[in-house]
Amino acid sequence: MELLDRYLQAVRKYLPFRRQDDIIAELRANMESQIEDRESELNRPLTQGEFDDFLRKMGHPLVVASRYQPQQYLIGPTLFPMYFYVLRLALLWAFIVCMIVAAVVTPLTQSGGQAVIDALFRTPGILIQTAAWITLVFAAFDFARSRYPETCAQIPGVNRNWNPSSLPPLEKAPHSGKPRSFTQIVIEIVMGVLFLGWLLIIPHHPFLLMGPGAAYLEAGPFLLAPEWWTFYWLLIAVNIMQIAWKCVELGRGTWQWPSRFLGIVSKAVGLIPIVFLLSVTDHRYVLLKNPVTDQLHYGQNLHQVNYGLYLAFSVVCAIVALQLAFDIGRWAVEIYRRPEVRP
Amino acid sequence: MSAAENTFENLRLELRRGCLTLAVLAQLRQEHYGYTLRKDLAERGLEIDESTLYPLLRRLETQGLLVSQWREEDKRNKRFYRLSPDSEQILARLLDEWNAINASISRILDAAQEKVAPHADNQ
Repeated sequence: MELLDRYLQAVRKYLPFRRQDDIIAELRANMESQIEDRESELNRPLTQGEFDDFLRKMGHPLVVASRYQPQQYLIGPTLFPMYFYVLRLALLWAFIVCMIVAAVVTPLTQSGGQAVIDALFRTPGILIQTAAWITLVFAAFDFARSRYPETCAQIPGVNRNWNPSSLPPLEKAPHSGKPRSFTQIVIEIVMGVLFLGWLLIIPHHPFLLMGPGAAYLEAGPFLLAPEWWTFYWLLIAVNIMQIAWKCVELGRGTWQWPSRFLGIVSKAVGLIPIVFLLSVTDHRYVLLKNPVTDQLHYGQNLHQVNYGLYLAFSVVCAIVALQLAFDIGRWAVEIYRRPEVRP
Repeated sequence: MSAAENTFENLRLELRRGCLTLAVLAQLRQEHYGYTLRKDLAERGLEIDESTLYPLLRRLETQGLLVSQWREEDKRNKRFYRLSPDSEQILARLLDEWNAINASISRILDAAQEKVAPHADNQ
């Protein structure tokens, strides 16, 4: 019987504290009766091997004790869909707010790119905190609902008398709306080629881009930094790629429903010139023609112009990055759902 | 265990869970302690593991469906369970539900069998 005591001792360790004695006493009585029955059948005491088999059949102490525990979860199946929905929404909005703070508010209130980077790095921590608080609130609500079902309010609107008229309107299907027409794709290509031509002649006729400002730049103390040339050629390359993509669509006859993946790639490539501008050393987009003589007069103006340009590029970059993240998310959801709609 | 086996095992456990509760409640219209209850159910063809039955008795008691009493029998203290007075009605309603489900499934299976039979005859 020593083995039985050791077994019950092991089970006890995992039992709920307040009911340990009661459960162990009952388990012991049942097990002893069972052993007695078996021994009277055999007309002899159980051998060590038979006793081992008996305990093995009862189950591991941890498993036996776990059956006495109430079913435990943080958020139950009734509340979980609502929790997951709120969590997704909250994380999305927290991310958007973090991006706006990092790209717009921080540059306006603090100087230097380091502040923007610091603000970006704070985003994961804020997202984790948001998720933790939402989980905590829902877990507390579910705990209260399970413990005090009569006093705790039901989920608002979720009951037998819910109103079907309150259901949201039908959402647009992924391919809803008008397909792109042949005329539309042709116009897009023609406009793309014209824009590319306009870009290509700008170095020879800066007036086309800057208007009267071109003459001021020519005569004034400022000049554009050489990095603008790299930016310019990157822009040309991106435009050529986009025109080529549209031509391929036209050639393959797939222009009506453009590929979402290629759209994402195109947007991602479009980020490259902006990211390049943001990475320019000391954000020196505009320089002085004669720094030795003009630094005193125009140094402050130059700094403000460069900082303003940096700020504008940061905002543009943040907006395009957000659009890209949104497109990737929608694309991922479409891929995830695709097997379900197949017949 | 293969995925299909795993799915079957989960479905089997799910199916058994409600049936076991019903069987235990029905059997406890007469007083039993854990071991004799298990033996009685096994004799009637319903095997239940000890590690499933004993915690189930506790849960049903917590829900107010069973009442229990410690009493000495054969020089040993045992906990005897029986259906609580208020639960007779609940058991009756559950048995009605069980019979209705059973009858429905029989009708569904018969109808399915009738649909399959003509095809089999044609072949």
